[in-house]
Amino acid sequence: MEATTATKQDQPQPKVTDRKKAERKLAYMLCAPAVTLMILVTGFPIAYAFYLSLQRYDLRFPDDKEFVGLSNYVDVLTSQTWWSDVAVTLFITVVSVSIELVLGMLIALVMHRAIFGRGPVRAATLIPYGIVTVVAAFTWKYAFDPTSGFVTSLPLVPDDYAPLSDQPGSLLIIILAEVWKTTPFMALLLLAGLALVPDELHEAAKVDGASAVQRFFRITIPLMKPAILVAVLFRTLDAFRLFDSAFIIQPGGANGTETVSILGYNVLINRVNQGLGSAISILIFIAVILIAVFFVKALGTSTAQQRGEEPA
Amino acid sequence: MPARAFVGVVLSLIVAFTAGCGGGDEGGGSRTINWYVFSEPGGAYDAAVATCNKQAKGAYKIKYVRLPTDANQQRELLVRRLAAEDSSIDVIGMDVIWTAEFAQAKWIKPWTGANERAATEGKLKGPLRSVEYKDQIWAIPFTSNTQLLWYRKDKVKTPPKTWDQMIDQAVKLKTSIEVQGRQYEGLTVWVNSLIASAGGQIVDEDGNVKVDGTTKQAAEVIKRLADEAPPPGLTTNAEDEARLGFESGRSAFQINYPFIYPSAAEVKDPKDFQKKIGWARWPGVKEGTPSRPPLGGINLGVSAYSEKPDLAFRAARCLAQPKNQIVATEKGGLPPTTESLYDDKAIKKVYPFGDLIAESLEDAAPRPINPAYSDISLAIQKTFHPETDIDPDGIQSKLENRLDKAADGKIF
Amino acid sequence: MSGSSNTGPDRVKWSIAIAVVLLYALIPVAWMISLSLKPADKLSDKAFYSGIDFANYEAIFKNDDFIKALINSLGIAAISTLISIVVAAMAAYALARLDFAGKAVILSGALAVAMFPPISIVGSLFDIWRSVGLFDTWAGLIIPYLTFTLPLAIYTMSAFFREIPWELEQAAQVDGATPFQAFRKVIVPLAAPGVFTTAILVFIFAWNDFLFANTLTSTNNARTVPAALAFFTGNSSQFEQPIGAVSAAAVVVTVPIVIMVLIFQRRIVAGLTAGAVKG
Repeated sequence: MEATTATKQDQPQPKVTDRKKAERKLAYMLCAPAVTLMILVTGFPIAYAFYLSLQRYDLRFPDDKEFVGLSNYVDVLTSQTWWSDVAVTLFITVVSVSIELVLGMLIALVMHRAIFGRGPVRAATLIPYGIVTVVAAFTWKYAFDPTSGFVTSLPLVPDDYAPLSDQPGSLLIIILAEVWKTTPFMALLLLAGLALVPDELHEAAKVDGASAVQRFFRITIPLMKPAILVAVLFRTLDAFRLFDSAFIIQPGGANGTETVSILGYNVLINRVNQGLGSAISILIFIAVILIAVFFVKALGTSTAQQRGEEPA
Repeated sequence: MPARAFVGVVLSLIVAFTAGCGGGDEGGGSRTINWYVFSEPGGAYDAAVATCNKQAKGAYKIKYVRLPTDANQQRELLVRRLAAEDSSIDVIGMDVIWTAEFAQAKWIKPWTGANERAATEGKLKGPLRSVEYKDQIWAIPFTSNTQLLWYRKDKVKTPPKTWDQMIDQAVKLKTSIEVQGRQYEGLTVWVNSLIASAGGQIVDEDGNVKVDGTTKQAAEVIKRLADEAPPPGLTTNAEDEARLGFESGRSAFQINYPFIYPSAAEVKDPKDFQKKIGWARWPGVKEGTPSRPPLGGINLGVSAYSEKPDLAFRAARCLAQPKNQIVATEKGGLPPTTESLYDDKAIKKVYPFGDLIAESLEDAAPRPINPAYSDISLAIQKTFHPETDIDPDGIQSKLENRLDKAADGKIF
Repeated sequence: MSGSSNTGPDRVKWSIAIAVVLLYALIPVAWMISLSLKPADKLSDKAFYSGIDFANYEAIFKNDDFIKALINSLGIAAISTLISIVVAAMAAYALARLDFAGKAVILSGALAVAMFPPISIVGSLFDIWRSVGLFDTWAGLIIPYLTFTLPLAIYTMSAFFREIPWELEQAAQVDGATPFQAFRKVIVPLAAPGVFTTAILVFIFAWNDFLFANTLTSTNNARTVPAALAFFTGNSSQFEQPIGAVSAAAVVVTVPIVIMVLIFQRRIVAGLTAGAVKG
């Protein structure tokens, strides 16, 4: 929590204006490529998407292209499909991030407090991180396949259990794949947060007779709040744009698993309806902004005095 | 801000990217004809390419560019390129359902004169219908495909003629019926043939929605199957899951393409599995009314953006010649589109059920011939999936509603 | 280590906890490996071990599409990593070290990009790419990968850069070196470990991407492995599902990354958490 402000104070500020100018010039030159790339490949396309979203523009009927104002938005926002997809997306997001938070915390605690075996645990948790999302999705899909997956051969699981046949089962597997793949990231962020909780506080509370559970909820959690919020923010945004695993596990968003990203893909790429699809793209963009603002506000109030600029 | 440096960096980056690694050109020599078609695993298309390149004697050289096997994925990839007016595509291996879309978008050239005659001569009716749109011919039929009813001769005495009979038998035998129930093109294939077999139509060529009471009849069949004789994973099974399910012995009936027959020879348990398999025409919906089996296959079209259309037409005609069709049957299990080939010895050897295939193709029901076909198909899939939740009473209006929205380019 | 007791029950408890974590992480991997080695006729036996057959591996290494996709993946990920690291290192150095107006803007801009939903631009990128000829090329994927890895790279590297003993640089400057010389001669070697860590993270990102790889390519000209996997073809029939081949390909693309992750696990942990801890 100390770095940004501290570094600034540590550095002797150059007094000479020429030097300062040179430094500033260098800084701009150094930042220019990165800034350009980031603006060029996000700012321009999003503006172009907005432009497209105001057109009737289907690549199959290029002659019918015309300006239609906001009617694509009206079409999307008044459709049942959009809202049920939003609901599915939010459901997956909330459930998977909650599970990840709890699991991640448990793994972080195991790693933090382990008497032994810390290395293997860290190594094991990093494996899902290193595995390509598409691969992980295939693995889970195959594992639950009723003809060849091992899951149906487990005790207590009916032989013809085919979770991908219905919505609850499909969502379960998508969430499972998501949770499995991203919990390590969560655990590592939380572990970093745990490291910031001073042991003395725990010892003091112990002396006062607080139980381990009490200490966890009264000391650890409040002190970790910024770390938790940052981790949850990033995972929430990630889960909200869920695409890869849903695409593999239920192609086309079948069985009520269509997330907003899958809908956008279907309209843009499969139906090649650039106008309508772009309206969906812009709406997803707005939704992401709303979520981010919500969290940043929460972060702001919980760490009013700290600068929340660091998560990566 | 040092503007010059900024602009300089941007420009050099762009130049570096586009020049350095932008080599997307695969046109090759001016005599290279790029043929985009799904990756045929049996080597039949490779053989066809080799044959034609030999016959061409240097006039052209066909390059086989492989697409995925899933029709939807093939289409996605092709549409992206065609919409980009990509001149690297010369000949397109088109699924039978794309004709109207590609023709309407002016992505393919019509076949006229001698080319038209070559494309239509001696072809079976079903495949022929799939290359017609707005009174013009848009491709040459190459390979075809249709589904049969496959059953276990050791369990089923007389093969059923209708879906209802089949479900009755399955219930009695405590077995299930393997179909394609996943939300994908295969479901549209099923629904379309059910509706056509009941005497209906979904959309006509002018895009008018023609949904009527036959939709409910189709829905009733599907729902009944889902309730009374569903295989595990009904709503996620595609062709291959159906094959595996049938081979595993869990089902005595299977609706599928002929590729399952050679595959059955590989089954080790039970012994002689292939000999236990019987075949019959795709079941009907109404007793006494012959069914309208599905129609699949690949037609060869010529891209409107090809820089050498004359060579492309020649190459397509060569690829689709009877000799190559026979190889496609032998190596890839793909039925010919030329009628006379069904009397050929080589075909009879691979296809003991060849006559049944020819008969099925003659009566096959094409899926809607419409430029917005992919939207229509998606609307059908969404309406009939999951099969377990189908409500036959409300399905007609649901389908109409979705089809209307699809036609208007709206979300559904 | 904060564990204070080392008694029997505690050891048992921890052993169980550790075993659970290990199982959680490893079961799916084991299943993928098992499927990839399964003889074709045992595919439906649902067992983790049913003999070893390398047929699937032979098949994918004879599969032109897979080989090309592997080359594309390696090339695209490597080039993206290289450029991203250079570009981000420059920016991170400026952010960590130099004093200039607009730092906060750049940092929050990068943060915004990190949160940016890629699906929102694939449609227009597709449209733009096909009109400028970047569609289905390496560059067409490298450019978005750069954009979306830059925030991660900038944050991670600036976190590392802050820990570098800057007195050395100042000493160099006192000796008459320009800021740029000081950067190149003194800081770059010191920064190497941080840069390396960041490179791993960036590489993993590019290696992992599916959305762009899927939408901005259409042939094995530029299609990377994740997208190729989704389009994988069966070996014997158009309709056959290539479970074994997909699994083998999945193992092939997974193993190198997992090995890399395991070798550099300390660095990766440091990299992933660098931002959060110092925040």
